[in-house]
Amino acid sequence: MTELTVDDLHLRYGDTPILNGVALTLERGQVVSLLGPSGSGKTTLLRAVAGLESPYQGTIRIGNAAVFDGARGLDVPAERRNLGLVFQSYALWPHKTIFDNVGYGLRLRKVSAADIKTQVTRVLEQLSLGHLGERYPHQLSGGQQQRVALARALVYNPPVILLDEPLSNLDAKLREEARAWLRELIVRLQLSALCVTHDQGEAMAMSDRILLLNNGRIEQQGTPLEMYSDPKTLFAADFMGSNNQLKGEVAEVRDGVAMLGGDGWKLAGVTRPGTTAGKPGVAMIRVERVRVAASAGDNRIAAKLITSMYIGDRFEHLFELANSRIRAYGESALNAGAAYFVELPRDAIWVFPTA
Amino acid sequence: MAADTTSIAPVARLQWLSRFPRGLTILVTAMAVLSPLSLILYQSFLTAPFFEANKSAGLDAYRFVFDDSDFWHAFLNSGVLAIGMTLIAVPLGAMLAFVMERTDLPGKRFLEPIILVPSFVSPMVLSFGYVVAAGPVGFYSVWSQDLFGAAPWGIYSIPAMAVIAGLTHVPNVYVYASAALKSLGSDVEEAARIAGASPFRVAVTVSLPLIAPALLFAAVLVFFLGFELFGLPLVLGDPEGHLVLSTYLYKLTNKLGTPSYHLMAAVAICIVAVTFPLVLLQRHLLQNARRYATIKGKAGRMKELPLGRWKWAAMALLLAWMFLAVVVPVSGITLRAFVTNWGIGVTLVDAFTLDNFRAVFEEPTHTRAIINTILIGTIGGALAVACYTAIGFATHRRNDGWSRFIDYLVLIPRAIPGLLAGLAFLWLFLFLPPLQPLRATLFSMWLAYTVVWLAYGMRLISTSMFQVSTELEEAARTIGATRGRISREITLPLIRHGLLGSWLLVFLIFEREYSTGVYLLAPGNEVIGAQLVSLWQGGAIDLVAALSLINIVLVGIGLALALRFGVRLRD
Repeated sequence: MTELTVDDLHLRYGDTPILNGVALTLERGQVVSLLGPSGSGKTTLLRAVAGLESPYQGTIRIGNAAVFDGARGLDVPAERRNLGLVFQSYALWPHKTIFDNVGYGLRLRKVSAADIKTQVTRVLEQLSLGHLGERYPHQLSGGQQQRVALARALVYNPPVILLDEPLSNLDAKLREEARAWLRELIVRLQLSALCVTHDQGEAMAMSDRILLLNNGRIEQQGTPLEMYSDPKTLFAADFMGSNNQLKGEVAEVRDGVAMLGGDGWKLAGVTRPGTTAGKPGVAMIRVERVRVAASAGDNRIAAKLITSMYIGDRFEHLFELANSRIRAYGESALNAGAAYFVELPRDAIWVFPTA
Repeated sequence: MAADTTSIAPVARLQWLSRFPRGLTILVTAMAVLSPLSLILYQSFLTAPFFEANKSAGLDAYRFVFDDSDFWHAFLNSGVLAIGMTLIAVPLGAMLAFVMERTDLPGKRFLEPIILVPSFVSPMVLSFGYVVAAGPVGFYSVWSQDLFGAAPWGIYSIPAMAVIAGLTHVPNVYVYASAALKSLGSDVEEAARIAGASPFRVAVTVSLPLIAPALLFAAVLVFFLGFELFGLPLVLGDPEGHLVLSTYLYKLTNKLGTPSYHLMAAVAICIVAVTFPLVLLQRHLLQNARRYATIKGKAGRMKELPLGRWKWAAMALLLAWMFLAVVVPVSGITLRAFVTNWGIGVTLVDAFTLDNFRAVFEEPTHTRAIINTILIGTIGGALAVACYTAIGFATHRRNDGWSRFIDYLVLIPRAIPGLLAGLAFLWLFLFLPPLQPLRATLFSMWLAYTVVWLAYGMRLISTSMFQVSTELEEAARTIGATRGRISREITLPLIRHGLLGSWLLVFLIFEREYSTGVYLLAPGNEVIGAQLVSLWQGGAIDLVAALSLINIVLVGIGLALALRFGVRLRD
């Protein structure tokens, strides 16, 4: 069942367009992440769904009910959309205890005091916060505050919960734990969640589907696997993962394979939409797919090693070739200044047209 | 599951209910602000007082005023005073702010509240203090005569008034300059020191130019306050007959012997014609200054600039100003309140008396004035803060036309000096039948005070409100709370400390106020400030001294409480 449908949503601040016709659907029990660089409109989209921003065109439906319809002038205020929103800053009310913070939504829904107590206690237990009900927000750690914010949004069973960068205020180590915990919780409680993040690792780990936003438009959407292994545009390829780029000219396109050449090098790669022979193009490859080789061969380019950096679990090598740099991972240090070959496997290269 | 659209629509129609109090708030505010002003405007275009039958529309009032050479003298004097005090207050206030905010001057924490004292003591009281301390037979003049054989100063000329006004308005510059300096990273100053600049050079060539927008704002503010001056020229300008616009207005009645309301209104409009553009300019500059401050806001690292041997120069400057602006007038009043008379050859011990206070407490008018002053500060102050809060909520986080309307609305009383506002309210209470019974009650006084200080109060309230992060309110909205509930259950509890602070500051302001009550004064609603003006006119120096000291004590108690509760004395 579809819990949330957004269609053709347009929004601007003054004369600046922020959202230019965004559409998305969210099925029950699914997590959809809005991913994109800052300024891409992802938080604005989330806030528009929540009712905190006013679009001027398009529709937003929660379940079967329209909550926004630009054509009909319908704009249900945030307080009557019955959604749960977890703020990036958590926005816990400093003057209320944890119990009161979580119970406030139930109190607004005129739930009896006894029921509020059972429900709040249950949700606090679920989030391992059971013993903290009488404390105030400032007495809690960042991770606990984040869970309280989540509890507050979950307690009245909203059909959709909205998460605005839910993990960005946690420190790096805690963030990875919280990521796994959050994913597990969402699956266990069968929640439907729309989540904003700028961290592609977080988006891939937590979501069933990812929507990549760029300049207020959806650049590409799909499962984490599709997004990472089958990017349709240069932007999508570049945003996901760590990449190498080589600019050149497309010599030939045949059977899904494009030949790209530059100053003293030639590579075969998988064509992407729009790649045409005779036009400039760019080869893109994930850093982890580059291999270091000792001799010449297909899709191998001679390169000089500038430096090898030890980054803990591996080495990162930086090569110079033609006018570009190529990064590659390796098990051991190599000799700086020495000449090597880097192998860029044909099935790991995407050849995009350059704009 | 969310309700479907058909069930949402009827609820949407009921939304006007939650808007109703807002509409009421806006309506009441608009009436309280606009009715006095429009009454003055209307009156100024009549040929006689508006309640007389033989009135007709015309420009006679303006013609009379513009033909009166006294008016032009007063206008010129106002201009000279305003410019003079700006030239004194701005550099001095800026230097003091630099010394207090950016250097390692010892004893700063203790000195700061004292710097702000002149802005909390009634100008009427301060001016009186200068008369009894440094006037021809003032304490310091007589002592100087005894010690050096001469007292080489006069305080009744226009330049002397400009100096005194300049010195006592230093705090107004200080608060804006120091706020701006706070938001300035200390790295720019350290760079100048490394390059070889002395602390004084650092201040003059680096720090102060960087806060130029704030200083410009302060200059316009002081210039504007110069046009509003009333107590100071009333007390100090009288002996040599110097009039400024406000005292010219005040003396108009005496001049003609009949209530010349139309003439007073015409003068009032002339004053507003000067002050209102200045208020708009201030608003514009303040927004600019804020923008600059945020651009340079790298306030994280604050290191005090070591003054070294400049410490003594800075300390001397600070203490000299403090002596002239605080010690001289306040000590003058204190001494004068405890002596029967003073002059050459009189000793303090021989003249010592408590009769002045006895006289105050034996006269019911004066005791009532003291009680009323306390009431208007405490209960009146709390009610005023409640009103300001209601107006604050009517505009809070709303970006519609009504909010902008209120924004400009609260600026209007800012441009109307208290004396004029009091006059306009007097007319309202005299001639609006439903208000007539309230004329001689403290309510008339309170209403005028509350409207006159509307802009100040709104700034206090909105400062508190903006400290509540938007997300705390949005979190409540997404959970299902209406605007009203968010205001009551989220915003209000979060700003309660801010409101307590605002109450104390409004108390201080209401204790200090004097000009607003001048025309409203009636048996029953006496307040110390207005009573002082009336007693001064009657020449009752002993009573003025005693009441002034009581007024200072009330302000002192308020200040002590404010400091005790850690209220920031400035915004």
